[in-house]
Amino acid sequence: MFGYVRPPSSLPKDELERFRRAYCGLCHTLGHRCGPAAQFILNYDFTYLAVFLSDGEAEPLKCGRCIASPFHRREYLDRSGAFDLAADESVILAYWQLRDGVTDHDWLHGLKYRGLSSILEPAYRRAAEARPEFDANTRQQLEQLAELEQERCPSLDRAANAFATLLQGAAREVKDPTKQRVLEQLLYHLGRWVYLVDAADDLKEDAAQNRYNPVALRYGLQDGLWTPESRKEFATTLDHSIHMMITAFELWDFGVWTPVLQETLYMGLFQMGRAVLDGTKKKERRRREMHE
Amino acid sequence: MNDPYQVLGVTESATDEQIKRAYRELARKYHPDNYHDNPLADLAQEKMKEINAAYEEITKRRSGGNRAGGSSYGSYGGYQQQTTYGGSAVVFQQVRIAIQTGNLERADALLTNYGDHCAEWNFLKGAVCYRRGWMDEARRYYETACQMEPGNQEYQDALDYMENGPRSPYHPNNGSYGTLCAPNPCWTWCCLSICCNGGWCFFI
Repeated sequence: MFGYVRPPSSLPKDELERFRRAYCGLCHTLGHRCGPAAQFILNYDFTYLAVFLSDGEAEPLKCGRCIASPFHRREYLDRSGAFDLAADESVILAYWQLRDGVTDHDWLHGLKYRGLSSILEPAYRRAAEARPEFDANTRQQLEQLAELEQERCPSLDRAANAFATLLQGAAREVKDPTKQRVLEQLLYHLGRWVYLVDAADDLKEDAAQNRYNPVALRYGLQDGLWTPESRKEFATTLDHSIHMMITAFELWDFGVWTPVLQETLYMGLFQMGRAVLDGTKKKERRRREMHE
Repeated sequence: MNDPYQVLGVTESATDEQIKRAYRELARKYHPDNYHDNPLADLAQEKMKEINAAYEEITKRRSGGNRAGGSSYGSYGGYQQQTTYGGSAVVFQQVRIAIQTGNLERADALLTNYGDHCAEWNFLKGAVCYRRGWMDEARRYYETACQMEPGNQEYQDALDYMENGPRSPYHPNNGSYGTLCAPNPCWTWCCLSICCNGGWCFFI
């Protein structure tokens, strides 16, 4: 369910570089706190989580080599409380997503998820010990989501609510009450948006395999194909969530991260939603898989 | 009060025109229309007050303290201050108060225990859903309310908002706003081929 939130490349080079340093910083933090296996879960979504949780001041930098850049030393953000929190929460999220993959697939197709979750298990244990509340909330929400999927719940909002609440829980440890309120709204709607966009992206695949898809059920879509009315209505519901994220974002000073977050929220999410609804996101992914 | 120039994000050497532009930009950002039915509307209202006070302070200082403040954006409206209740039932007034104070559980419980699912009931159910972030259900309840009582302007406004979003949503640099707005032809390539050392994830 990850991979939909990305820094738009229209960002100025120095802002992209700042985000890259955060990405590398989170990778180092994951390795340091949870071991090398945890570094393989790294993605942009988790980097955004670290950025949201950061205090917005220019963090101290470190420089070093790593597995992705073994010859050139690269700058990365040094560890901080926010990155530690984001690393732990990322490991917990990734682990439970993998476990979810095990239950969602038959024995053969679930092998990949089973293997990966076993590799991640020691890291997960460390992270869950440090953040028991977030771990319990994640597990509870994913269980609820599984139940809704089982009963083929036709409500977009109920299904999305479980994932949104799960992500919202990532803000629970934020100390400042205003920032906590802002982040809770922002992360709730980010979770809702991600869940819905993911469901829209999987429409045809789910229809072909007769799998649960809340978007198809809600709009009564045949063979995973949009009607113009349902497409418009669905886009509006996505826009309302983006609007809620934007209005929350504007109520807190995210400091040095403001340009990257502003560009992502005001441009990147609309563009990604459009690519999913047009089918270009899926095509691009297939093209990349073929090249790999 | 914080330094008014800092609040507006300008320097003391800024011209009157620059100050007015900065003020308008911020006022547009935190305008009540932008925070309609938003659970964070109280924070936006605080921001708006701070911006108005800063603008009035600068205007006063620059006119030698003789002039009253410039024409600032004043009232913070939205759902919270629409206190003329359409419904006559006392319980609906209690629901509205619960929604205004952010007590959505109480609002929902009151509605659940109320048997008559009239237009007002559907409208308020929609308002609870909207504040919870359940946008799709909110729209459906508003639709039902409008079908049951077509002439009610409050219900119609709520439905229009769900269908079209805010009238003039804030966007820095007045950019396009919406998933189905005119696409940028370069974007597909740009977004999907970002190459900052990875971005991969094997369980998408």
